[in-house]
Amino acid sequence: MGFANSDPAPTAQAVKILVAGGFGVGKTTLVGAVSEVAPLHTEEYLTRASVGVDDLVGIDAKTTTTVALDFGRITISDELVLYLFGTPGQERFWFMWNDLVRGALGAVVLADTRRLETSFASIDFFESRGIPFVVAVNCFHNIRDRAPQEIRTALDLDPQVPLVMCDARERSDGRDVLLTLIEHLMARHPAPQPAV
Amino acid sequence: MRHWTEELDDDADEPLVRPYTITGGRTTAGRDDLTLITLISLVTAQTPSGTDATAERHALQPEHRTVLRLCARRPVAVAEIAAELDLPVSVTKILIGDLIETGRVRARPPLAFAQNGALPDMTILEAVRNGLREL
Ligand SMILES: Nc1nc2c(ncn2[C@@H]2O[C@H](COP(=O)(O)OP(=O)(O)O)[C@@H](O)[C@H]2O)c(=O)[nH]1
Ligand SMILES: [Mg+2]
Repeated sequence: MGFANSDPAPTAQAVKILVAGGFGVGKTTLVGAVSEVAPLHTEEYLTRASVGVDDLVGIDAKTTTTVALDFGRITISDELVLYLFGTPGQERFWFMWNDLVRGALGAVVLADTRRLETSFASIDFFESRGIPFVVAVNCFHNIRDRAPQEIRTALDLDPQVPLVMCDARERSDGRDVLLTLIEHLMARHPAPQPAV
Repeated sequence: MRHWTEELDDDADEPLVRPYTITGGRTTAGRDDLTLITLISLVTAQTPSGTDATAERHALQPEHRTVLRLCARRPVAVAEIAAELDLPVSVTKILIGDLIETGRVRARPPLAFAQNGALPDMTILEAVRNGLREL
């Protein structure tokens, strides 16, 4: 992708979609499958909120716990960039979720049928904050051993919340999961789309 | 659109530096308005707005220059800068804060939505949908 040498559009806007779910469920895989750049990696101090920022002075860097964030990017246009953040599902990381949800269009909760319970925390989080989300079941080794309705029941999922099957390694699947979320968001808009 | 795997190359890892050494020991950003996807762009008209004293206090570190270089081509999100610097997000925010204070970069915060039922603009949703369809 080429970049113009001119000034970047001052109106550029960033939005993001969160990809949540338990450890090893395929978050980074899905982000990498759809991202135009290799998944980027960054960290934040876990202790920042729990002990207070000033208390970090003098703490050896090696003993400071960090939480890792993986993210990718899809340039939609000169004015709009979509970031995808793989977010750890464990409750102890939620101190940073307030930042994570700012500017988020919504979320994808990835689930693994062999251990659905690892997705409970993420679902609870988005439900309780009124953040729209869809559930994507990552079909490891193409195993589709459980019917969607069975998974819905196990997750105690609101009937309104879309549930889709995917292979997180497949770009087209990742794209379709994201499109499901966008269409879910569009459907929630009260005003019908004006005919063009 | 091209996919990143088409142009894989390994970046040599930057040497490890104790993060807060770079910020002169500062651990508080002093600005809470920077989020992970706040877009940072270069102020091209080079008229730093900070006072001389401010400029002196925040003499440019190599990391500051890296930030300026990263923002040169297009607005870059705070998280991307952190990833490139290989520094924690909070440390990165301190460095970006220095550059905002001295008028070298400007920050564009994300729109607020996705909380308490607020919905993003239909225009944005349509743009994202169309962009995704082209993947
Ligand atoms: N067979 C198979 N392996 C997968 C799939 N999705 C992810 N993996 C693998 O599962 C492991 C964990 O995936 P990762 O994306 O790192 O999970 P994360 O912890 O949620 O980010 C990696 O080794 C992936 O290569 C899938 O759909 N099928
Ligand atoms: Mg991961």
